[in-house]
Amino acid sequence: MTQAKWFVALAVAAALGAGCGSREGSGGKAEGPESKAAKYTVAVIPKGTTHEFWKSVHAGAVKASRETGAEVIWKGPLKEDDREAQIAVVENFVTRGVSGIVLAPLDDKALRPAVSNAVRSDIPVVIIDSDLQGDEHVSFVATDNYKGGQMAGREMARLLNGKGRVVVLRYQEGSASTTNREKGFLDEIARHPGIRVVSANQYGGATTESAYRASENLLAPLKKGGRLDLDGIFCPNESTTFGMLRALQDSKLAGTVRFIGFDSSEKLVQALEAGQIDALVLQDPFKMGYLGVRTLVDHLNGKKVPRRVDTGVTLVTRKNMSSPEIQQLLKPDLERWLK
Amino acid sequence: MRSAGLGWLGPVAGLAGVYLLFALIGPESFHSARSVEQILRQTAIVGVAALGMTLVIISGGIDLSVGSVIALTTVIVAAMLGRDAPPLVAAAAGIAAAGLCGLLNGVLIAGLRVVPFIVTLGTLLVVRGAAKGLAGEQKIDAPLTWLADLLAALRPDQKWMLAPAGVWLMVALALAVSLLLRRTRLGRHIFAVGSNEQAAHLSGVPVARVKMAVYALAALFAGAAGVLQFSRLTVGDPTVAMGLELDVIAAVVIGGGSLSGGEGSVLGSIVGALIMTVIRSGCSQMGLPNWVQEIVTGGIIVLAVALDRLRQRRAARA
Repeated sequence: MTQAKWFVALAVAAALGAGCGSREGSGGKAEGPESKAAKYTVAVIPKGTTHEFWKSVHAGAVKASRETGAEVIWKGPLKEDDREAQIAVVENFVTRGVSGIVLAPLDDKALRPAVSNAVRSDIPVVIIDSDLQGDEHVSFVATDNYKGGQMAGREMARLLNGKGRVVVLRYQEGSASTTNREKGFLDEIARHPGIRVVSANQYGGATTESAYRASENLLAPLKKGGRLDLDGIFCPNESTTFGMLRALQDSKLAGTVRFIGFDSSEKLVQALEAGQIDALVLQDPFKMGYLGVRTLVDHLNGKKVPRRVDTGVTLVTRKNMSSPEIQQLLKPDLERWLK
Repeated sequence: MRSAGLGWLGPVAGLAGVYLLFALIGPESFHSARSVEQILRQTAIVGVAALGMTLVIISGGIDLSVGSVIALTTVIVAAMLGRDAPPLVAAAAGIAAAGLCGLLNGVLIAGLRVVPFIVTLGTLLVVRGAAKGLAGEQKIDAPLTWLADLLAALRPDQKWMLAPAGVWLMVALALAVSLLLRRTRLGRHIFAVGSNEQAAHLSGVPVARVKMAVYALAALFAGAAGVLQFSRLTVGDPTVAMGLELDVIAAVVIGGGSLSGGEGSVLGSIVGALIMTVIRSGCSQMGLPNWVQEIVTGGIIVLAVALDRLRQRRAARA
């Protein structure tokens, strides 16, 4: 019996040995850290690893790593979107003793003890994408969501020539980033007395399906004789934009109102090309990964870094969508960095 | 009928092997005292839940609802703290709610005579749904209390504790379960039911009552694990610990527990949980990509179960 158990130990060792062989193949490594003996090792911890958004963040981090010579280790939580798994990843890097950590926290509170522990061990932390409560991190590198909302509001006012009726389909209670986008939009619209906000208290919820239902309910009372008694719509994220788009398409109303959304996906870009969406506000995840690592390395080099770094938002319309900069945002060249 | 007392020896050797391997090929940090403390901390949740699962598996059953019960516990603890309950009361309420879930499992299994796999597969969904409903499909924020320190990394002035309170709790509970299995009538009955339910029944063991006790106890341990989970998250999270039941079952099986009942050891289960944390922590500190880590962990679980079957066949022949 014991013999059998010894066999387990051996097999484990063999399996691990096999696993280690593939280490070199992982795309997250900076080029040639062995030959140059990288000065810093930076752990970059996303919320998950499979979404397109995080692949762009990864690519940006690799670019920064090549420029600064810092070795970047890309490691997401073992279970996608699992707070506990992300805490464990942070802890492992603190114990391993990296030079610094770039973290996109899954929760503004739950990751706080792990970050405190890192800072206590003299490992600086830069937060990207979503904010963390407390002030122990070096810097917060992310989209200025309020500004993104304002940008959408300005474009809406321009499209409507300063007068008309608009609705906002909100995303979810308690989601800070989208609430700021909605607020930015509404504040900007409030500066145009000719534009009336018909509804801004409906929530699309977490999924495309719930957003679709909410959109139908929102639009139903506004339908008058096969048309919408409405001039403009704003949705603050990908799922609400897509849910609203589906609702408009299904009732053959797509393209009859001015429609501005947030974030992008293949379907949304197609709708933009077809004129069913007038504009999309895009974040820049590549820049988020890039500036996250850059800011951390600057800090490690003793430079003073700002507490807040804005990674910028871009308004994409049918007119400018074929320009090279926008194409880079819509279809980032991930292969170049992640291969 | 009952397995030899040395069943834990193999897993301990396996743990030593895995640890030494990472100490050799991993970064230097891996064999620091700090790394050991961290491995202990990251094991505590699965370890405490595995104590309950050890009882269940020895009795010949299975409990798939553990992960959901842990999530429910974190939600209840957070909700109670949010309503200004003292931390101890909040923790007790969480564990009590977990116990109720276990009682439900026990009643359904013993009363309706439905196989444990199906019953607990059902309660896995029921309890997860209840946790989400109670939390309004969001995480629940809670004020910071000493509960959050149970599994926190030790501060420099706490070094005398060697490991945080949550780890010591796991050790104490492990001793208690070990005593329960070796020294009490319930312990003997659990082994009897798991080895041969019919024979146990004929020789006067109250099988239904034993099963109810086993599932209720298992859920209480899941509740304690839930309090530890809350301590790590500092928020109530209805989506936490999804799939954790599989880690817990794997810990027991790697530790020598037999899925056909009658076999298993407390030390083995804790060691099984430790083996998985060592692999996870080692891979993570080496910066291995997640997919390698998942393949390695999966391979070990299958190997362990395959060996378990092999051993049983040999035992049956002997």
